[in-house]
Amino acid sequence: MDTSVFRLDGVTKRYGDLVALDNATLEAGANEYISFLGPSGSGKTTLLRVIAGFEAPESGRVYFNGKDITNLPAHERGIGFVFQNFALFPHLTVIQNVGFGLTHGKSGLSAAEIERRSLEMIELVGLSGMEGRGVDQISGGQRQRVALARTLTMHPKVVLLDEPLGALDANLRSRMRNELRAIRERLGVTFVHVTGSETEALAMGDRIVVLDRGRIIQVGTPDEVYGAPASPEVAHFLNRFNLFDGTLSGGTFNGVFGAVPSPQAIPSDRSVYAVRYDRMQVLPVSAKVSGPSFRARFVASEYLGSSMMNFFEAEDGHVIEMEHHLSLGAAQEFEPRQDYLLTWNPDQAIVFGREASR
Amino acid sequence: MESRILKPTLAIYVALFILFLYGPFVVLTIISFQQGPEGGPQFPIIEWSTYWYRHIFGLTPPSRIAPLPFGEALLRSLVLALMTMVVSTVLGVMSAQAFRRKFKGSGVVFYLIVLGMMVPGVLTGLGTSLLANNVIGIERHWYTTAFATHVAYTFPFAFLVMLAILNRFDASVEEAAWSLGVDPWTTFRKVTFPLIFPGVLSAMLFAFTLSLDEFPRTLFASGRDQTLPLAIYGTFSVEIHPNIFAFGVLTTLFSFALLSVYGILMAMSVRRAKKMAMQEDIA
Repeated sequence: MDTSVFRLDGVTKRYGDLVALDNATLEAGANEYISFLGPSGSGKTTLLRVIAGFEAPESGRVYFNGKDITNLPAHERGIGFVFQNFALFPHLTVIQNVGFGLTHGKSGLSAAEIERRSLEMIELVGLSGMEGRGVDQISGGQRQRVALARTLTMHPKVVLLDEPLGALDANLRSRMRNELRAIRERLGVTFVHVTGSETEALAMGDRIVVLDRGRIIQVGTPDEVYGAPASPEVAHFLNRFNLFDGTLSGGTFNGVFGAVPSPQAIPSDRSVYAVRYDRMQVLPVSAKVSGPSFRARFVASEYLGSSMMNFFEAEDGHVIEMEHHLSLGAAQEFEPRQDYLLTWNPDQAIVFGREASR
Repeated sequence: MESRILKPTLAIYVALFILFLYGPFVVLTIISFQQGPEGGPQFPIIEWSTYWYRHIFGLTPPSRIAPLPFGEALLRSLVLALMTMVVSTVLGVMSAQAFRRKFKGSGVVFYLIVLGMMVPGVLTGLGTSLLANNVIGIERHWYTTAFATHVAYTFPFAFLVMLAILNRFDASVEEAAWSLGVDPWTTFRKVTFPLIFPGVLSAMLFAFTLSLDEFPRTLFASGRDQTLPLAIYGTFSVEIHPNIFAFGVLTTLFSFALLSVYGILMAMSVRRAKKMAMQEDIA
């Protein structure tokens, strides 16, 4: 990342007693696609709004293009923002929406030039022929494109997207996902995309920034974050791991499934044992296994097309999920309300623990 | 079951309500067509005629009944109502805009503004008159002291209307405009104002109509030259002729015309507001 576009340095933001952002530090390069992942209330939208200039941080600095813009008002920043509800100007047509910034800002362009650039951008997002329509006469997906085109006509170096796909239906979402990536690659702009969906973050980001309770808890490529979550919280947000509480001592993790040697634990405040859904194995109760195992009752299964999700309930009420990729063969059939033995290869588990931090 | 009793009862109630609302106006209208100049404000109608309407505009031969001295009073009232409308609406929009963010003492300021419509008008009028005469030592006029009381009275209405409108306003369109490099003032002119225009229209209507027939404050604060409500009241103390009813009918028709203009403008902006609502539905 030799060309940094923006940088956050110890940004903190409070709403009364609530700490929305706690000492957030981050650097973003040019031509990068960054996803902010976190549950609602994790501060990801606040972080975006601080970068855009809609909110002022209590402390910390925001740098853009090497300049300190912490005290610069939003309209002088030159950072694009796409809202979840699109926030189109309802009293204007599509082309008036797209040309709004050029017309009423400091562009100084002639009306003809503004029209030319607006039309060019409308074509880029695939809305040619709709220029004259009111924004109430187009569909949700088309509105999303108008919102994007409106931002991109200003040629911003960074575009912030606040859950831009949240308002679209599932089909459209996956299509817009691809289009967003394609448009970004064509223009070479840095996109910062806020999402509560782990699949969206994994699919779209060159880098993922995971937030929890106002703090940045992991930054990395999708591969790094998915393969090696930095903390139990990250593993939890990824929604791909069964998490077991227990204790770690002397390189051994003690949980409901017995004691498992865990020499390579990741430092953490909580002792948690994580096993990916698709690493779980289900055996009859009578089976003999050498590794960790415990009994659980089969509850239900869910067909997802390419895989099958099976839900089990442990004796303590804990729900365990097991994913079977159907490309690996037909799914096992389980009897409802029957007990089974769940097991896994301990080498593939991820262990977090307090002990390791000593 | 319930609606079998409730509905007719409510229907009768509404019918009675409308009767009371428009009854006086109907009587007024009938008497205004009394024969003149001998016919008085009484039933039965001696003979139907438009005599008193012509009398208002000085189109009748001279008689012992003097024409209504309303010309200048009407003009004064209209000018005063227009001035009040403009100032109160501008103040209302600006102050409601200020209340979108919490600021220190906002609660106190809110009640100070709203007090203007709560305080009895006679008190405001009397107080203003004393203040002008005895404390500051300036002359009272309809366009100075009375104007001030009108603004103090109608401003809270405009303020509350705009507060309600801005309460429901989705601020993200403004932020969107800023993020496109458009400064806050231009954003207000090009985005906020067009979207809150229905509210502005209502605030204007409130301020105008309240000022037009304002009586107690004006009575004390306006000084020598009378406004229309004062002038009308003045004629009552001498003798009542049907010309005053004819005048009443004409002013009511004027009010209806005003309401129609408001209705048309409103319908146009509501169509726009609907677009806004549809956009929010998706969010």
